[in-house]
Amino acid sequence: MYRQGWKWGDKSIDLLNFLPPLAQMWTEVRTILPSTMDDFIIEFSEKIEPSVLKVLELARDQLYSRPDCPSSAETAQIIIDYSWENLNTGTWRDVDKEWRRMYSYGCLFKVLSLCNGDPSQAKVKEAIKTCDMGLLMGAAIMDNILQRLVCILKNTMKLKSTKVEKSEEPCSKKMKWECVSEPVINPARAVPRIQCPSLERFRSDFLDPQKPTIIEGIINHWPAFTEHPWSIDYLRSVAGCRTVPIEVGSKYTDEEWSQKLITVNEFIDGYILGTEEKGVGYLAQHQLFDQIPELKEDIRIPDYCCLGEGEEDDITINAWFGPGGTVSPLHQDPQQNFLAQVVGRKYIRLYSPEVTENLYPHDSQLLHNTSQVEVENPDLVKFPEFPKASYEECVLQPGDVLFIPVQHWHYVRSLELSFSVSFWWS
Amino acid sequence: MNWFGFGFNGFGQIIAADVKCKVSTPVLLSDARGSDCRVSGSWSSRAAVIHTDSGSRVCVSGFLRGSSGQVCVPESEGCTDASISERHVTVSFTRRVECWEIQQAQNRLVWSREQESSGQDVALPLVPGGYVVPRPPFFRPLCAKLCAVSLALGTEHAVLLTASGTVFTWGSGSHGQLGHGHLTSQEEAQVVEALWGVQIAAVSAGGWHSASVSAGGDLYMWGWNESGQLGLPSQSVEEEKLRARRPGDALVLADVHKGSNDLCVDLAVNQAEEKNKDDVFISIQAFPALVDIPQVSEIIRVACGSRHTAAVTGDLYTWGWGSYGQLGHDTERSTDEPALVKYFHSHDMRVRDVVCGLWNTYVSAVPEEPSSHKHTHTE
Repeated sequence: MYRQGWKWGDKSIDLLNFLPPLAQMWTEVRTILPSTMDDFIIEFSEKIEPSVLKVLELARDQLYSRPDCPSSAETAQIIIDYSWENLNTGTWRDVDKEWRRMYSYGCLFKVLSLCNGDPSQAKVKEAIKTCDMGLLMGAAIMDNILQRLVCILKNTMKLKSTKVEKSEEPCSKKMKWECVSEPVINPARAVPRIQCPSLERFRSDFLDPQKPTIIEGIINHWPAFTEHPWSIDYLRSVAGCRTVPIEVGSKYTDEEWSQKLITVNEFIDGYILGTEEKGVGYLAQHQLFDQIPELKEDIRIPDYCCLGEGEEDDITINAWFGPGGTVSPLHQDPQQNFLAQVVGRKYIRLYSPEVTENLYPHDSQLLHNTSQVEVENPDLVKFPEFPKASYEECVLQPGDVLFIPVQHWHYVRSLELSFSVSFWWS
Repeated sequence: MNWFGFGFNGFGQIIAADVKCKVSTPVLLSDARGSDCRVSGSWSSRAAVIHTDSGSRVCVSGFLRGSSGQVCVPESEGCTDASISERHVTVSFTRRVECWEIQQAQNRLVWSREQESSGQDVALPLVPGGYVVPRPPFFRPLCAKLCAVSLALGTEHAVLLTASGTVFTWGSGSHGQLGHGHLTSQEEAQVVEALWGVQIAAVSAGGWHSASVSAGGDLYMWGWNESGQLGLPSQSVEEEKLRARRPGDALVLADVHKGSNDLCVDLAVNQAEEKNKDDVFISIQAFPALVDIPQVSEIIRVACGSRHTAAVTGDLYTWGWGSYGQLGHDTERSTDEPALVKYFHSHDMRVRDVVCGLWNTYVSAVPEEPSSHKHTHTE
């Protein structure tokens, strides 16, 4: 863990070893903060109003004026509320990064106010949630301090939970009974499978001609299959208290569709184990591995990505985790995609961009990359040309990696509890 | 006439030199007096046009030049109207309008325009020929055919009222704040067709919501309802209510829900938490909706903050986001149902006008005439 210099006398360093775990948490937190107020540099562009900058400086001054008492929660909340309003102004793409940084500072000071003294488990949970809000909606500040804070808080949670968590029964017993139809793949339309092709072979046979294929045998060495097999229990232990964005509603083209921010534990309890009747929930298209570096260690970027022109840092890695029955409507993406299947199976149908005219994309700018047709239940009165479109299909199994060429239309339905990892590259 | 303020006070814009960040019941603004006094608010400051025997000028309270204070703007001597934003104050005079940058050591004139003194008394941001915003290009022309009589500027949209009582909107539509039934943004002014045929008398615009009052005293609102600012059921307000419930209370009259015309009182925590599966929460209302304030017959004026709304009926009603006390109900709770601000009623005051800063509310009120004191509702 990265530590900045904190001037202790020798005596104090010894004392650290004898402090009870909870006071030690605050001490650990202070060590990752700049040692003095002068070292806590606040820099923003002129776009940020001097008034809110003043509030931020006040929060910093409060933190250093009384070492045992952090900035007030109220000051932090003002920064959070004001920057939140600016994050919701204009389109997300256009939001100035400065406002996202300001939001992260607000979260930082709120976390510090929660960590003061001997915080209850509820407060530590709220502090973790606040870090996550900053990580999800803010932009990195102070060498990604929120990420480092989350580590400390998580360790504290582990120490705090004295009671042993009831071990979950085998997942299959508690899973929601899924009304999931098992598709039969027509061999004439099956996506071809290939075992461990060489880079050259993949480029010449699939990448250049833009042909979908399922690559077998290239992810079995992932720690996600070996050292830390991904399971509900494992995900709870690594990420249970972390807040993630969940899509609620059967598909994103529905009017009822919405997003909510809940912890991984709440998602598993509410939408995977079905303890409450909440409908379909899907942890979809989320850069979970940036948020939870521990999980990133369990996966590897496929070697074939080096055949692209982009940098490795530009590859977008998304997590797709949900129960059986999640649907991604037929759509196309602007980059090449490797879809790696880790847990469970998915039914996937692929249409070439050449048949786009039979797929009835939406008119609106927002959804022009999405088809209007419900692939497994098409309205042939509204969309009569749809059956003319030729396609390939497959059931993706754990260990498979599906290559989806850029702009290739794809429809995905999970057949059971599923965890996929997608790599968008160019 | 007196002006009162409540809500965010982090920079002393309501009560100067007060450490309290939140003022949740109305407080008299000591400097804002007189019948012509106009008040305008930004996030961190408040401006009042004060008329005295020696003339008129703008006084600013709140964040100014790096710290909180209260100061008059000497360059505003003789002004007729003023409007304040985070960095600027826009001042109109009889024959000109100016925009001054007031956060530096010296006030700096960043823009000005000579104008014909119009027969009509239009309020900022309207000026003859167009309107003024506190950033370049400061002046934006408006088509003369529109015959604009009132203009309200929200965070990223505009609501305009014409002489014939028609409402136009333009700007960002992402939260339904344009009232056209979709979420597309519009660069050009477009009629709010759903209000066609209703004569509108006043308009207002908040962060992401809009309001208009008809000549007959009806209130129509549209836009974002995430904190109940449209007076429609809000999921976050409901969740806040559930969190605030104290478990174990056998009889909790904490929340009063309105059924069709009856009041349904939640009798027990258990009952209340069994959420009605038919609960419909409205996040975005893209068409104007009629807002009913029970037992109120006529709404006279309306004002919108970033996420709250205030309406004048002779009394004052507020609803929406309340975390900074901007609803004036002596609480920091938000509400999605219009609620009376008891202060004015219990002090026998008649509310005349209301203006909102982003997170606060400013109200002008006069002592009630004893003979015309109306009991328009029950306490």
